[in-house]
Order: sequence, then C-alpha cells, then structure tokens
Amino acid sequence: MRRTAIRQLRPDPGPAEDTDRDPDLPGLLAQVARGDHRAFELLYGELAGPVYGVVRQVLRDPAQSEEVAQEVLLEIWRAASRYDPAKGSPAAWALTIAHRRAVDRVRSESASSRREEKAAPDLSEAPDDVADVVATTLDGQRVRRCLDGLTELQRESIKLAYYGGYSYPQVAQLLGVALGTVKTRIRDGLIRMRDCLGVAW
Amino acid sequence: MRDDLHALSGSYVLDALTEPERDSFERHLQHCSQCEDEVRGLRETAARLGLAKTVDPPPQLRPRVLAAAYRTRQLPPIGDRIEPERRRTRVRAQRWLRVPQVPRLAGAFAAAALVVVVALGITQVVTRHQPGVAQTASTTISRVVTAPDARTETVATSAGGTVTVVVSAGQQAAVVSAAGLRSLPAAQTYQLWVMGPGGTRSVGLLSRTGRAGPVLASGVVPGDRIGITVEPAGGTSSPTTTPVLAVPV
Repeated sequence: MRRTAIRQLRPDPGPAEDTDRDPDLPGLLAQVARGDHRAFELLYGELAGPVYGVVRQVLRDPAQSEEVAQEVLLEIWRAASRYDPAKGSPAAWALTIAHRRAVDRVRSESASSRREEKAAPDLSEAPDDVADVVATTLDGQRVRRCLDGLTELQRESIKLAYYGGYSYPQVAQLLGVALGTVKTRIRDGLIRMRDCLGVAW
Repeated sequence: MRDDLHALSGSYVLDALTEPERDSFERHLQHCSQCEDEVRGLRETAARLGLAKTVDPPPQLRPRVLAAAYRTRQLPPIGDRIEPERRRTRVRAQRWLRVPQVPRLAGAFAAAALVVVVALGITQVVTRHQPGVAQTASTTISRVVTAPDARTETVATSAGGTVTVVVSAGQQAAVVSAAGLRSLPAAQTYQLWVMGPGGTRSVGLLSRTGRAGPVLASGVVPGDRIGITVEPAGGTSSPTTTPVLAVPV
C-alpha cells in the first residue's frame, strides 16, 4: 500500500470507497482531532508508511522502529488538535514528530549502545539505499535528482544528519570537516533542495 | 538576525543540533519571523527526504496503533490561536510540536515537591522532548520525586560537578540528574549504573557534556548504589573504569 509522496503532500480525491470522507490530510487531521476513528484509520493509511520509513531509516532495528513508529502514530492521534496548517503540511508535521522521536531514541541512554553496535556500519551504504527506495515514486525520483545536484559535502552532510540521525558535530567528525562548514553546508544544501523540489511554504 | 544562529536553521530541521543549541535556536525563532519562514520551507524539504523513505510498516502495527489510540485521551486544542497574519510573530515558535504540560503537572504537585522538580530541571524535559515521551517520563519521574518517602541527596563527583539523586523506596526507583561534570571527548561518555549485590546493570548513557537528566532508574532496591563511570562512546555492558560517583540508596 505504498502511496506516492505527491499524494501525501498535495492530496487528490481519495478512492471511491472513501467518498463520504474528506480525503485531504488537513481535513482528516481536523476530524481526527474530534476523535473520529474512521478518519484516523484513513490517516493511518496515509502516514504510517512515511512515519515507519523515517523511523526505520534512523533506527535500523526493526523491532525498535516498530515501537517508536507506534509511539509517533499514537502521538498523531493524541495531538491532532495541535496541528496548525499555517506551520506546514500534515506530512511535514508528522515526519517532524517521527524524525525527532527517532533521533531522541538514538541519543537517549538505553538505545544508543544497541544501535551503534547494530547499525552504525550500515551508514556507509546509505547512498545506494536512498537511490533504491527513492526510485520507486515519482516524487522520490525528484528527490534523487535534486540530491544529485548538491555538492558532495552538502549531500553527505544532509544524509548523515537526516537519514543517519547524527548531530552536526558528529557529522563534522565523520566527514573530517569543521563544525561551521557542516552547519552552512547543511543549510545551503537544504535551501538548494527546497528550490529544486519547488517546495512552497 | 544573528548570523551564527541563522546558520543553524538547516541543522535544526534535521534535528542535528545539540540540545543547548536547539533551545537557543527555538528561543530565537520566537521573534524572528524570517527564520520561521525559512524553517517552514526547510522542514517541508526535509519531509520530502523522509517521504522518499516510505516503507510499508509490519501489518501488526495497524491494529496495535488503532487499539492504543482508542484507549488514549486526546489533547484539547491550544485555544489561543489568533488570526493567521498575526500568528506568525505571536505564537510561540514550534507550538505545534509542544504540549503545555508544565502548568498541569505543576498543579498536581505539592509546593515543596515542585521546588525539587524545578531544581532537577524537569521542566526542561517537558518542553524539550516530544510530548508523549515527556509525559510518560515526567509522570514516572514526578511520582518518584513526589513520593512521601522520597529522599534527595546531592553529591560531588570526582569528575567535578554534582549529581542529585532522589530515591523512593516505595517506588523502587531513583531519579538522577547531573550538572557540572567535566566535558568528555567525543570518544567517551558518562554511563549510569545501578550497582547491587546481585550485579550491576546499565541505566543508560548520560550526556558527555556533563549536564544530564533527570533520568529515571527503576527497579532500585535498598542495598543498591547509583554509580556513574566514564566509558567509551556508545557505552559498555559493565563498568570498565572506577566510578566517578557511587551513591548508596
């Protein structure tokens, strides 16, 4: 049940079975905020894949990822009334919660040693990994193309930080460059990605 | 807008800032609408990176999430929303990521206990982490700290600084926070242990900056000691150095 990213960001009318529901994500979130179970089930269908994907990417361990994804999805249910459309898309809201929660887990006491043993070596494979998954969706292909348009340092910094869940001082250390360099490369790279993807917010 | 802070926007949306920087950047965001705009755009951009990683979750997740959701009370709206054109500058930055737990939490505490909570920096936990986690952690932590039999001890460590331990025998738990320990190089970390007659177990890693907590150590019984050692980054399964601190419970 993989949906395209485009659908999540700019929802089009939903499948016929859901015609009695507003298929757009902000609308669904508003219904969820009112305790609508059916709306939450539909929202789950839209957001569970992206949430699990981000968490899994950062944490690597499937069992731990499932646990954290469950927390995040539950949080989406619990805090639906706090979603503010003026601050961004529902997907960005959900993935911000997901990414931050995953990173908190990485940096929190109990998880870090487990993850470092299991997953740190994996990171060298991140680029190919990205390419594989990204190619599966139209929007993903654009992400891939835009990533390719960055300088190597921008691209690696962003991948290590976002997909790897590393702090920028850790990224600087991994890449052997100065802290200030990483900060600016991450920002410049993201700005370039934003413009390349035509993100308008 | 200060240049050094401005440069943090990218790392901020990727959750790549250290905690002190995250805090100072969020404070900065509250009165920098230009930064807020940039953060909004970069956050959407980061979301695209995330969406590219979409993976079907295991099928068992769905019934578990739905069942858990329907047992969970939802948060009320914040209630101070104002019209969009003024919202940007007036609503606290990243409000939608936060839950105003502090006042409600505070209301539940006796005044004396609240002093302890604040002294331990629990309010920081509440605002800094994600709402659900913060609530769970702070609920348990507050149970320990406000337990009738809670005992507070502040002890100097051999790595400098002090560690405060609040122990409740009734809750079989301790809450630990550290401040002023010397910063460790990146290859090292502080690790927190419960050391008992039956063996030593890791509670978790503490920030190598020497300021950490409050951290909950559960399953603590009389005769145990709370210990902190310096370990290789990532931690170890048992202590490899002499504790910089060992507090009997």
